[in-house]
Amino acid sequence: MEPLSFGEDVRKTALHSRHQALGAKMVEFAGWEMPLQYKGIIPEHHAVRERVGLFDVSHMGRVKVSGPDAETLLDYLSTNLITGKKIGSATYTVWCHSEGGSVDDLIVYREGEDRFFVVVNASNREKDLAHLIRESSGYRVSIEACKEEGILALQGPLAQNAMRTLFPDVEEVKPMTFLPLLYQGKELILSGTGYTGAGGYELYGAISSLIQIWDRFMAQVVEPVGLGARDTLRLEMGFALYGHELSDTISPNESVSAWTVKWSKPDFLGKKRLAVLEQSSHKRQQLGIVLQEGGIGREGYPVLKQGEIIGRVTSGTFSPSLRKAIAIILVEGNFKEGDNLEVDIRGKRVAAEVASLPFWRQKK
Amino acid sequence: MKYTESHEWIELSGKIGIVGVTDYAQKELGEIVYVELPEKGRRVSSGEEVAVLESTKAAADIYSPVSGTIVEVNERLKDNAQLINESPQGEGWVFKIALDHLSEWDSLLDEKGYLALVM
Repeated sequence: MEPLSFGEDVRKTALHSRHQALGAKMVEFAGWEMPLQYKGIIPEHHAVRERVGLFDVSHMGRVKVSGPDAETLLDYLSTNLITGKKIGSATYTVWCHSEGGSVDDLIVYREGEDRFFVVVNASNREKDLAHLIRESSGYRVSIEACKEEGILALQGPLAQNAMRTLFPDVEEVKPMTFLPLLYQGKELILSGTGYTGAGGYELYGAISSLIQIWDRFMAQVVEPVGLGARDTLRLEMGFALYGHELSDTISPNESVSAWTVKWSKPDFLGKKRLAVLEQSSHKRQQLGIVLQEGGIGREGYPVLKQGEIIGRVTSGTFSPSLRKAIAIILVEGNFKEGDNLEVDIRGKRVAAEVASLPFWRQKK
Repeated sequence: MKYTESHEWIELSGKIGIVGVTDYAQKELGEIVYVELPEKGRRVSSGEEVAVLESTKAAADIYSPVSGTIVEVNERLKDNAQLINESPQGEGWVFKIALDHLSEWDSLLDEKGYLALVM
């Protein structure tokens, strides 16, 4: 329990003073001072599952890629298919390096025939930009990192109602699509994306616009939600978090994001190595597990099958929706739903069962 | 009531000490979702790790403020770990310990000393 202190080079988002005024507990995340929680992780989690919550995720980065070869380049960098995607579509993908490790996971947005932008993880902003610039050699593209911008996420079953009060056009924005808007004369992107599985939207735009929009949502019944609940929400859905489920040493086809790898694509960066790995007996897999007793299997804890270590936890938490400890594990060997495993929690073996992902599903 | 630098409190009744974590500690930890309690009858030394609190964010050890024998644990925490958040210095107590040496009590922090530490 060290007192929190922030280095001088830690960045603050434009909404920093709003978070402080709301009494948020701030933490450093990927070089940014961000709200971990306001009221508490569990009530904020339930607010998003049951109603609607607002996140400041301005630490993430947006990069515009445009030019005659933008589609070809982005398709070549992505495990998922980008070529032929409709204007107004958003596509989740992984980027690999030539050795098959993961550079980042991100969303590719198509704004026009020759115009795209990508939204990348906070921890990888600079790395992704360097990767893009390096790989764009020989392609007719221009690359521009958006500055003086912020990102909000409005998530939950009542997100559409709340968004409609500000933007009546929200009805047009289906999941994994987006709409460019103007807000007080400035570009604003309204995107049907998120990281919670609760439905909702993300907004990309100028800092001045987003501060106003934040205040307008706060004046409604929308609750602020911090990064703590963002993590429990994404983990209940089995979504990858870069640095945990994906990394330089975890390939996308070993991960919960394996579905993004489109083998039918003629080529993409890293495909050769992924194809070799796919046939290898050393290929690992990620699974969801639910712990059967008390304790939380946290990142790095060993996972065992009949006493043998088969892998480790990549992310683990207490699921507020299931009221059980859940985890994503990276293991060698083939396992299926219902298989019994164990997690070594500080020297104590705790029973766990392989579960299908997502851990949590919206009731119809 | 006395305190430790590792944020436990202990209250003495005869030779039996009741131990829990401070309000400051529960606030820092966030919502407690699981408590790993010690075995009754276990002998522990002062400073030894005795129980574990799992919060939504992290796991934190509870250390025994004194040497002695665990005589009782708070069974209610098994299904109501959040009692530690709701009432850290009351219903959210963690274990009771029979002290080996009452003299250890004197070396613990008093309230003023503890508050100086966390302020």
